[in-house]
Amino acid sequence: MRSDTSSRPFLVQAYTVLLVVAALLTGYFGLSAWGYLVPAAVTLGLAALLWWGRWPHLLRIVLDLNVLSGALMLLVVWYGGVLGKSKLDVSGVMMIVNVVTGGPLMAVVGPPILAALRFGRTLPAWFAVNGAPSSTEASA
Amino acid sequence: MRAKTAAMSRFACGLFGLSLAVFLCPPSAGAAALKGKVSASGGKPAYGAMVTVSDAARERRETVYTAEDGSFAIRTPYAGELEIRARLAGFADATLTRTVAASEIASVDLELKPFKTPEAASDALSASAFNARLPWRDVTKERPAFISQCNYCHQVGNATTRIPKSHEQWMATLDKMEKGLMSLLSAGEKATIADVLARGFDGKPLVVAQSYGASPTLARAKVKEWLVGDGYTFVHDAMVGHDQRIYSTDEGHDILWVLDRTTGKLERNVQPDIDLPRGGMFSGIDLPIGTFTGKHGPHSMAETSDGRIWITNALSGTLMSFDPKSRAWRTYGIPDDPVYPHTVRVDRRDIVWFTIAASNQIGRFDPKTETFRITRLPSNGIVRWVSQELFPTLLRIGSWFPHQAYHLNISTHPFFGERVLPFPYGIDINPKDGSVWYAKLYAGKIGRLDPETFEVEEWDTPMKGPRRPRFDKDGILWIPAFDEGGLMRYDPVTKEFQSWKIPSVGLGEYETPYALNVETKSGEIWMAANNSDRVLRFSPVSKTFMSYPSPTRVTVLRDFSFAADGSVCSSSSNLPAYAIEGGRAALLCIEPDGGAKDREALGVW
Repeated sequence: MRSDTSSRPFLVQAYTVLLVVAALLTGYFGLSAWGYLVPAAVTLGLAALLWWGRWPHLLRIVLDLNVLSGALMLLVVWYGGVLGKSKLDVSGVMMIVNVVTGGPLMAVVGPPILAALRFGRTLPAWFAVNGAPSSTEASA
Repeated sequence: MRAKTAAMSRFACGLFGLSLAVFLCPPSAGAAALKGKVSASGGKPAYGAMVTVSDAARERRETVYTAEDGSFAIRTPYAGELEIRARLAGFADATLTRTVAASEIASVDLELKPFKTPEAASDALSASAFNARLPWRDVTKERPAFISQCNYCHQVGNATTRIPKSHEQWMATLDKMEKGLMSLLSAGEKATIADVLARGFDGKPLVVAQSYGASPTLARAKVKEWLVGDGYTFVHDAMVGHDQRIYSTDEGHDILWVLDRTTGKLERNVQPDIDLPRGGMFSGIDLPIGTFTGKHGPHSMAETSDGRIWITNALSGTLMSFDPKSRAWRTYGIPDDPVYPHTVRVDRRDIVWFTIAASNQIGRFDPKTETFRITRLPSNGIVRWVSQELFPTLLRIGSWFPHQAYHLNISTHPFFGERVLPFPYGIDINPKDGSVWYAKLYAGKIGRLDPETFEVEEWDTPMKGPRRPRFDKDGILWIPAFDEGGLMRYDPVTKEFQSWKIPSVGLGEYETPYALNVETKSGEIWMAANNSDRVLRFSPVSKTFMSYPSPTRVTVLRDFSFAADGSVCSSSSNLPAYAIEGGRAALLCIEPDGGAKDREALGVW
């Protein structure tokens, strides 16, 4: 497996720093309420994936889930009256999904990363370079 | 023969009319009276001593206070083997048992002696003596969280809570309070409090002097106590209904107790079941077994003109009505994710208003149309906004894992402490304009809600911990400052505050006033002093406090309510009840002139 990180783009560095800061803040929270250590670890893991340019699909799925669950949770909390007694069950599931996929801070820093992954060129190129198998690995 | 004599006596009294009889007649059949003197060591009169008479079944107690010459006189509805106890701060109790026949007027003299050991003297001190000496490194920074989050359910410093423990043991206790009673302490505050309690409660006896103050006004008073339930009973509020009976909510067991003060008969009304687990919406937390067996958690009460009692059910998030005549209950589900409906009051139009503490709302319910309108109050900051929005969801997650309190691991309070919620608590209606006023306990604010436009305006209070305010007849709002041991006055017209610090009973001690009420005729404020087993009476004219020492140690009072005969009633509500002296909760009334009436009737002045 080849890894070319010598020319790491600025965007990758910036987003990684954002994720690490989010992980540290969440982890700091976790010193008081240990449940936040889970999203802290997840966020740190995603920072590592971005930094090394590995497993872009995993990064995207986790980010998608995190942002989606956070947004849905807020929507249900605010406008979920039609769900009746199930409302808080739905928002509860969303909250847990959000926590295990990086927590609320990830939902804040996640959208620009997701946008860059989907619509930008830099991040896909970064993952393409580092994630693509080398010719030796391919022939083996 | 004795019964015949008593009957003749009652007949003779009837000739004078009821009001004269109160003053001039000996006690009626089944009622024993006692008079005598209490002296301290050396025969000196004991001024301000409490003389308590317990009935033969030890289910009821009545207390009077001695005059300057040490004399006392008390008429009771009891007969048989009565326990008589004299108590005065600084002395050992003098207790005796005397068989007193109905209609008998017994003479009893009691002598108070010094404590035999320093330990006995220390054991008789109130919690305030012990928690005043806790070794805080910075009292102004560290102690407020302790007062706010530990003292509101119970005294810390009484015999059951000042047991020497290690830091780890105190941490376990604080964990229990967090997981079982939703104490909102941050992790840092918990560690600090555990450290201070471990060093402060060392088991050594305290040598301090406490004075509860004796006065001619105190000597005119009488206190009546009726024991309720068992050691796990958690009577929260007490309210005197229009029928002059005392209604009291048992928050742990979904019971409405109804006491006929005349006969002493106690009625037990169980709330209807609801499709919720034990603990209601709070089933996820580890509610103390025994104390909390219910689902509704009845908390506060108010009465509409039709005689119905309206109850906020804190745990089930419902409003409930009880008709004392038919004993019919009705349950109303409150919309908009209510968390912990708290204090309830009724306005002049019979509209029911209530605070919903943990979800930062005010509820309005019209009993005629049976419709709610819920108003969200200002959040007072982003942390409080986030926390209040997500709190109902967090509780629901907790309910998936009953009594495990797992959801607290993703709560924001371990980081921010009580700053996570604004916590609208007490509520009252301004008699001048019908506006609805509330106190926000953790945000340190009072607010006004316009009952027509639902516009809200808020003000910061000069003292922290505004708890359960009440209006006087002139439209002045009186507010107890729990966290700073004070009383605040707010004039809605001039928009000006005034505040007073509550005098303590000993050097360096502080007070925890939970609730108050304003007596309509006199305008005097009656308030709880839950750290030192007292009831306070404040005169807005002289701006002075006087205190009524409670006959029972570990007296934690909630709401105050007035009876038509001038009695000031409340509930002894320490959590748990078994920590109260005698191990039982009680309903109690102070008759400010009850002792004087007994003296006059028995010719003791």
